[in-house]
Amino acid sequence: MATLLINGKSRTLDVDPGTPLLWVIREHLQLTGTKFGCGVAQCGACTVHLDGQPVRSCQTTVAQAAGKKITTIEGLDPAGRHPVQLAWIAEQVPQCGYCQSGQIMAAAALLARNANPSDADIVDAMSGNICRCATYPRIKRAIKRAAQGVRS
Amino acid sequence: MMAPVTRRGFLAGAVATGAAVTIRFPLIDPSAADAAAAWDPNAAITITPDSIVTVHITKAEMGQGVGTALAQIVAEELEADWKDVRVDYPVNDPKFGLMITGGSWSVNWTFDTLSRAGAAARLALIDAAAKSWGVSAADCAAERGVVRHLPTGRSLRYGEIVARMPITKTFTEDELKQIALKKPTDYRVVGQWIPRLDIPDKVNGKAKFGIDTFVPNMVYAKVAYPPVRDGARRTALDDSGAKRVKGYVATVAVPQLVAVVATSYEAAVKARDALKVGWDLGPNATVSSESIFAKFAQAKDDAGAAAWHEQGDVKKALGDAARRHEATFTTDYVAHMQMEPMNCVVRFADGVYDIYTGSQFQTFAVGTLAATLGVDASKIRIHQQYLGGGFGRRLEPDIMVEAALIAREVKRPVKLIRSREEDLRRDFYRSATLQVLKAGLDRDGKIVAWDNTLVASHPGKRWGPDFVDKKGLDQFALNGADHVYDIPNQIVRAVPVETGIPVGYVRAVAPNYTFFAVETFMDELAKLAGVDPLQYRLSMLGGAPRLARVLKLAADKTGWGSPLPANTGRGVACVSAQEKKTPTWTASVVQARVDPATGKVQVEKIVCAVDCGVVVNPDGARSQIEGSLLFGVSNALKEHGTIANGALAQSNFHDYQVLRMNEVPEVEVHIVPSTEYPTGLGEPGTTTVAPALSNAIFAATGARVRQVPLLPDRVLAALRARG
Repeated sequence: MATLLINGKSRTLDVDPGTPLLWVIREHLQLTGTKFGCGVAQCGACTVHLDGQPVRSCQTTVAQAAGKKITTIEGLDPAGRHPVQLAWIAEQVPQCGYCQSGQIMAAAALLARNANPSDADIVDAMSGNICRCATYPRIKRAIKRAAQGVRS
Repeated sequence: MMAPVTRRGFLAGAVATGAAVTIRFPLIDPSAADAAAAWDPNAAITITPDSIVTVHITKAEMGQGVGTALAQIVAEELEADWKDVRVDYPVNDPKFGLMITGGSWSVNWTFDTLSRAGAAARLALIDAAAKSWGVSAADCAAERGVVRHLPTGRSLRYGEIVARMPITKTFTEDELKQIALKKPTDYRVVGQWIPRLDIPDKVNGKAKFGIDTFVPNMVYAKVAYPPVRDGARRTALDDSGAKRVKGYVATVAVPQLVAVVATSYEAAVKARDALKVGWDLGPNATVSSESIFAKFAQAKDDAGAAAWHEQGDVKKALGDAARRHEATFTTDYVAHMQMEPMNCVVRFADGVYDIYTGSQFQTFAVGTLAATLGVDASKIRIHQQYLGGGFGRRLEPDIMVEAALIAREVKRPVKLIRSREEDLRRDFYRSATLQVLKAGLDRDGKIVAWDNTLVASHPGKRWGPDFVDKKGLDQFALNGADHVYDIPNQIVRAVPVETGIPVGYVRAVAPNYTFFAVETFMDELAKLAGVDPLQYRLSMLGGAPRLARVLKLAADKTGWGSPLPANTGRGVACVSAQEKKTPTWTASVVQARVDPATGKVQVEKIVCAVDCGVVVNPDGARSQIEGSLLFGVSNALKEHGTIANGALAQSNFHDYQVLRMNEVPEVEVHIVPSTEYPTGLGEPGTTTVAPALSNAIFAATGARVRQVPLLPDRVLAALRARG
């Protein structure tokens, strides 16, 4: 049994402690906004926050996540109107959309620690997240737009 | 496992006629259209009493914004109020005709049909309102979801008409064709900057992809795949270890596959890993990139190679030419690497297979599934989900077949998810290619002879007889080699080669490699003729003025000819992709810097100019062009699929690398305003990048790289060869 604190709710599950957090979030709890892309922390599609830090949930075990605050895309903002999400709509970022939860979680974590990121800061923080549709130019623009929202 | 598609000639016919009406919308019997809960004027549209207009999108939404664009086309002629417009993605049905999404065809194939579907519905609504008022329909008009009687100002919302009035007007095929459509200058929805309908749910985690499907009583399956891509045979199976895994449900061993089913994904992985399967690796166990290219090199000299495209007398013209040039171009395997690994949920109950996945080709999938499972096509229901990337991967029904076979055996709904490693190893790759180009120039440097031998594997053969021509050639493995340059004597010989590695269609398909060769070779000939590569191309584009225009535009916007720093160069390429009969005229100038010590290439900037006719959704169009160009950068610089021991040697994003944000150049897109019939935008940009980049490397260093990807060691080798 494992108890996890996800998006402010405590959830107790009958899973092996070594199970990747990703599969617990997605398949056991059906919080499907977090995506499976590679399973080896290469693509960033599964990015969630652990005590506010971005982590790859495919490489985080249930045991490692226990006792920490887990935030998924569904819990980023109660109304889905986090400045990053609004900027993503304003810049019409997503194409297929599959990687975008991970991109948004990575961007939100960046802005939480650096409200005024430079181009280099953005590239540094975001190059672990692959977008096969290559929406990268729009992601960059959206992060800058969101930064204004976070600062104001 | 694959059955041929049973709609002979459909694709070929559609392509031949360009703006073909490929989906027909039979207008329903008026008796079914009495005042009711909903009105379906045709297969594309449903209007309900609340005035909501639902446009049924039979194209896959895989990021191209197709749902929004196609709904805009309908809304324009329907005179719908955009805020009332919704879209859905219906289950396959013969009434939708051919269900395929690819080839940058979606808008091109449906613009006319959907415009007429919308117009016919509008006219029927006006007719019903006029009859209810006892006035002439000619005195009524529709605008933003309301029919008005112009002399009196009386009005009815579409929903009110649907709820209260019989709608009886129908159209024959001829009458449909004769409806006068709007002039582009009158468009109010088409061409507008309308936000995509699918985006809000793609930023809050609510968008449902195939992998997000859950059905009651569902179990998880993992397949034990053989170590070679194709041709292995199972010789032994011991599932005793699997049975000891907590959560194990069943082992499925059928001729096509062996799989384990368990109560969770992680249990299914453990149980599958505990299976002991013996394999006879079959005839492809030693196939490698080296053996494949050796086979290609032999095949290029095949005297019996069929001519796919021919005009004039190449042999004579080459013999008479003042100067001749020859070059060989190769490209490596490319994988789709869509972000959502292949997955599928199947529920089999009461003889019906309910299939939940994202499909680019429902027609093919239904045919293949019905044949494999031995059931009527009506028993296959594909519930279309968002596609976490398509790029051609989801044209293939392989994952559906596997999940359906397993669901049939275990008699419980099954969710099958491939790991990334399985996804990559089980892909249908873009073929490796070898192209030998020869040209003859006259004394003025003008090209008088063009001879191209194109060696590649052709996917079409595997799909069935509809996908190859009478000579056994798949045009989708060749398009682009029939470029639009004005050259009197030309031949393109096609040599299809089977390698044991199955190939498929990857975004931008053949024009990726055909235009790489054509446009790089064109630069070489310009050099030989001593003419600027831009001017050289323009001198041969008299028959393609729209291409000449975008070529000049792209060049102007980059300051073509202006000086650049050392080891930095500009290269150009222009294309008639995806198909010569329905081209999107596209030209790109790529600026790149080469590190002469390492051979590493940095793409600094891409300027792309496009003429695709009418643009339905300008921001969506721009987004597609940006993405297609960067997909091209990824293909051109990084993606190096190699074969070893009968399978792809790469396994995940660490060794099959794709473009990341730190390598993204500045991208500038110029779309030429046009009122011409629309073509497609998902792919043509991609095809310009490799040749323009190869030409930029040459401009920067004088080194000619003829192998894609343009890897540092290849650039270094070309630098050394330059001397």
